[in-house]
Amino acid sequence: MTEMQPQDAKTQASDPKIDASCLVPLLALSGGAALWLVIGSVLAMIASIKFHAPGFLADCPWLTYGRVQPAADDALLYGFCIPAALGVMLWIFARLSRAPLCLPFVPVVAANLWHLGVFIGLVGVLAGESTGFAWLEFPRGGSVLLFAAFLLIAIPAVATFGQRRERELYPSHWFLLAALLWFPWIYATGNLFLVALPVRGVAQAAINLWFASNLIFVWFGLAGLGVSFYLLPKFAGRPLQSHYLALFAFWTLILFGTWCGISAGAPLPAWMPALSTVAASLTIIPVLAVAAIMWKTLCGSTHSETRGGPFCFIRFGVASFVLAGLMLIAMACPQISKVTEFTWCGPAQTQLQLYGFFAMTMFGAIYHILPQAAGFEFPLQKLARVHFWISTLGVLLLVTPLAIGGLVQGFKWANPSVAPVDVARAALPFLRVSTTGLLLLLLGNLLFALNIFAVTLKWKFALLKTMIAAVKAPLDTKGETTSAFASLRRDKEVKA
Amino acid sequence: MSDEPKSCSTPFDAEPTASRSTVPMWIVVLTLTLLFLGAVYFDHHSGWFNASVYQPYASAAELDTYQPKSGAAAILAQGKKNYEMICGVCHGPDGMGKPNQAPPLAGSEWVNTKGFGRLAHIPLLGLSGPLQVEGKDWSLSMAPMGAALSDADLAGVLTYIRSSWGNQAGAVTADDVRAVRAALGGRPQPMNMQQLKAMAE
Amino acid sequence: MKNGALVFLAVFVALGLSWCGFVLAPARQLGNAKQTTILNSTDLYPMGRPGDANMGLQVYRANGCAACHTEQVRQSGVTCNVVLTGAGKNPELVSNLVSTLKLNGLAKEVADAVSDRITAAGGKAEIHIIATGPDISRGWGTRQSVAEDFLYDYPVQTGSLRAGPDLANIGVREPDANWQLAHLYAPSSEVKGSVMPSIHFLFEVRKTGGAPSPDALVFPKGFGPPAGYEVVPKPEAKELAAYLLSLRANVPLYSAPFTP
Repeated sequence: MTEMQPQDAKTQASDPKIDASCLVPLLALSGGAALWLVIGSVLAMIASIKFHAPGFLADCPWLTYGRVQPAADDALLYGFCIPAALGVMLWIFARLSRAPLCLPFVPVVAANLWHLGVFIGLVGVLAGESTGFAWLEFPRGGSVLLFAAFLLIAIPAVATFGQRRERELYPSHWFLLAALLWFPWIYATGNLFLVALPVRGVAQAAINLWFASNLIFVWFGLAGLGVSFYLLPKFAGRPLQSHYLALFAFWTLILFGTWCGISAGAPLPAWMPALSTVAASLTIIPVLAVAAIMWKTLCGSTHSETRGGPFCFIRFGVASFVLAGLMLIAMACPQISKVTEFTWCGPAQTQLQLYGFFAMTMFGAIYHILPQAAGFEFPLQKLARVHFWISTLGVLLLVTPLAIGGLVQGFKWANPSVAPVDVARAALPFLRVSTTGLLLLLLGNLLFALNIFAVTLKWKFALLKTMIAAVKAPLDTKGETTSAFASLRRDKEVKA
Repeated sequence: MSDEPKSCSTPFDAEPTASRSTVPMWIVVLTLTLLFLGAVYFDHHSGWFNASVYQPYASAAELDTYQPKSGAAAILAQGKKNYEMICGVCHGPDGMGKPNQAPPLAGSEWVNTKGFGRLAHIPLLGLSGPLQVEGKDWSLSMAPMGAALSDADLAGVLTYIRSSWGNQAGAVTADDVRAVRAALGGRPQPMNMQQLKAMAE
Repeated sequence: MKNGALVFLAVFVALGLSWCGFVLAPARQLGNAKQTTILNSTDLYPMGRPGDANMGLQVYRANGCAACHTEQVRQSGVTCNVVLTGAGKNPELVSNLVSTLKLNGLAKEVADAVSDRITAAGGKAEIHIIATGPDISRGWGTRQSVAEDFLYDYPVQTGSLRAGPDLANIGVREPDANWQLAHLYAPSSEVKGSVMPSIHFLFEVRKTGGAPSPDALVFPKGFGPPAGYEVVPKPEAKELAAYLLSLRANVPLYSAPFTP
C-alpha cells in the first residue's frame, strides 16, 4: 500500500485495523446481497420474457407476471441495494471516524436477519401473500425482520460515528446519517399506515406514492450520494468541490425531493399533485448541484484509473443520478406527464435510478472496499472489468428502449382511436431490446457474485487455516500467532 | 484493484477532504425563482387544500359552477325511478291504477290541482275511507307511502305524477314539501274523505 | 455545522414536513371520508362491494393484476353542451337562432350566455356538463376517478402502469361474467392479439360429465378446450370476475360532475 508520508492527520493513510474491523459485516451483507441480485435478475428475466411469450410458465401461479415482477423489483431493492448500501456505509463511518467499527458482531447478526426477511418476503410475494402496495409487497413477517435488522445496523453505525475525534463533519456524514434516520421512518410509516392499521380509501394510494418516491429517489439519493461524495474525491485525487455546495444539495434534496411522488392523474384532491409538481420542479436544484459537484471535482483530476475499475462505476452512477433526476422532473411536468404517465417511462426512470445509479455505485464501492478490508485482491480481477462494460451496456439496453417504448405507448394511449391491443403490441419491440439488456445485467451480476463468493471462500479458507493452526500449535515461536490471514495481508504489502 | 496515484496531492488511501468554495450564486437565484413560480402554480392549481377539488378544476368556485343544475329532466328521471319503486306497485307504472288496489292518477282531479298542499298530504299521511276519483268510488286504505322519502325525493315523485300520463299540473319543489311536513306536527293519522275535502288545494 | 444535536433536529424537521404533508394530511382528510350522494339524487355512493367482489379484490391483489392495469380514470377538462329542450311559443325564431350558435364544447360562461339567449328568444335550454380527456374518449369512464370510488376497498389497487387498459369501469364496459372469465382463461379468445398472459391456474379443465356444468365457460370458435372437456372456473376465478363486474364508476358526484 502507500508508504506513510509526514502529513497532517487528514491525509494520513488509514490504519488497516479499521478496514479489517469491517470485513465480516461487509461479507455478511454483500454476500447475501450478491445472491439476491442474481435471483432478482433471474426473476426479472422471467417477467420480461412473459411479454413476448404470454404462455411462458403460464400454468404456475407462483410465476404469474403479477407476482414475479414485484418480486424481481423487491429482490433488487431490498435484497441487493439496501444491504450493499449498509455494508458500505459502515465502512465509510469507520474510515471517516478513523476508528474501528463499533460492535462489529451486531451487523453480522442483523445481516442474517435481513436476508431472512428478504427470503420470507419474496416467498410470500410469489405465494400470493403480497400486501398489494408497490415496494411494500413483503408480508408482515418479512417487513418486521427488515425493520429490526435495519435498526440493528444503524446502531453500530451511529456508535462508530460517535467515536470520531474530529468534530468537523464531512458532507458524506450528513447524507448517510439522514439515510439512517429516513429509512426506518418511511418504512415504519408505510407498514403502519397501509398494512398494520390501514387508513381508509384512497389515502392508501397517497401514502404508497409518498413512500415509493421517498424510498427510490430520496433514500437512494441520500445513500448513493453519501457514498459517491466519499469515493469521488478519493478516486479523483482532489478535494470535493465543495463542502457548501454538497450541503446545499443535501438540504434541497430533503426539503424538496421528499415532496415528489404524487402523480398528476392520481384520484386525489388537486393540492397533492400540485404540491408534487412544484416539488419536482424544485428538485432540479439538487440535481444540478450534484452535477456541478461531480463536474468540478472530476475536472482536473490527476488520478489515473484502471479502465473498468471502481472509479468508472462511480462516475457512471453519478451521471445516471443526474439523468434519472432530470427524467423524474420532466415526467412530473403536467404537459409531459399527460403522455408519460402510466407508461413504461416510469419503470425506465426507476430502473435508471435503482440500477444505473445506485447498483453501479455500490458495485464500484464494493470493488474498492472489499480488497482493502480483506487485505487481498479479488481472485477474479479481470471479471470486475468485464462486469463494468457488460453492466454499462446492459443498463443502456434496459433503460433506453423502455423510455422510448413508453413514449410510443403514451402517444398511442392519448389517441382514443388506437385500440389497447395495438398499444400493447407497439411497445413489444422495445420490450424485446430491454429483455436483452436484462440478460446482460444478469451476466454482469453473475460475475459480481462470483467475485464476492471467491473472496468469501478465500477468507473462510484462511480462517479455517488459522483455526487449524491455532489448534495444532497454540504456542508459536516468539509468542507470535501466525495466521494464514495475516500472511495474506503481508503478501499484499510486499507486493506493494 | 486500484492503481496507485502517480502524482497527487493526497495519498490515495487518505480520507477525502472538501474545498470551502462558496455556493455559486446562480443556483441560489434559480432556487428562489423556482420557489416563487412554484407558489404561483400552487395558487392556481391546487384548489387550496379543498378535499372536493380535483384536477382539472382549479378552485372550489369553479367546481361549483360546473355542477349540473337539477334540470327538469334530472328531477323527472329520479322522480320516475322513485315512483316506480314505491307507488307504481299499486298505482301502476302507467298511472292507471289497479281495481281493488289503488285509484288511477292519470287524469285524477286530486292530482291535477293548482296547489299541491292537499295532494302532498296523501303520501305523507296516508288515506283511508271511501274516495271518489274520476267518477268512480274507491273504498280502500293507503299507508303513508311517502313519509319515508326525503323532501327532494317526494317532491320529485309528485312532480313526476303531475306531469305524466297527460297530467299537466305544476311542479312541486323540495321546499314546498318541507313546508307541508313542518305544518303537520304531532303523530299524523291517515286522513279520511271528509278531512281531505275540507283541506285547501 | 458541528453541533450534532442541532443538525439532527433540523433534519428531523425537514423530513417531518413531508411526512406531515403527504402522510398525516391525507390520512386525516381522506381517511375519514364518508359516503357521498350521487348528484341530483339522494342515493348514497359508494355502496360497499358485495362479499364475493371483496374476495375478488383479494384475488386481484394476490396475483398482482395492478402490475399491468390501473383503476384510475383521468380527466383533462370539462365542457358544456347546450341542449334545446323546448321550442316555446316561437319555434321558428328559436331554430333560426340555434342554427347560428355553437352549442357544443363550450366553457361554462359561454354556455350560460347561449342558454340565456335561447331563453330570451322564448325557447328552453339545458346545459349538459361533459368530462373530457383521452381516457374518457376511450370509454374508460364518464368522469375521473375520485376518492369516493375507493372508499371501502382494501387494498386500494389504483395501479401505476397501463400495459393493458384501465379497469375502473370494466364492469360497465364488459358486464358479462362469461366474457370476463373466458378473457382470464384465454385473453386472445376475447381480445384478438392480446399480450395478456393466460391465468390458467384459476380454472379447472375437466372431462364433461353427462351434461355440461352450468359454470362451464363458453368460448368463441377456435378457442376453448378439446372436445369432451370443459373449462370450469375455480371459486377464486368467480370471485375475481365478480370483483371486475363490480368495478363501475359512472355516476356523477359533486367532485366529478357530469350530466348523465
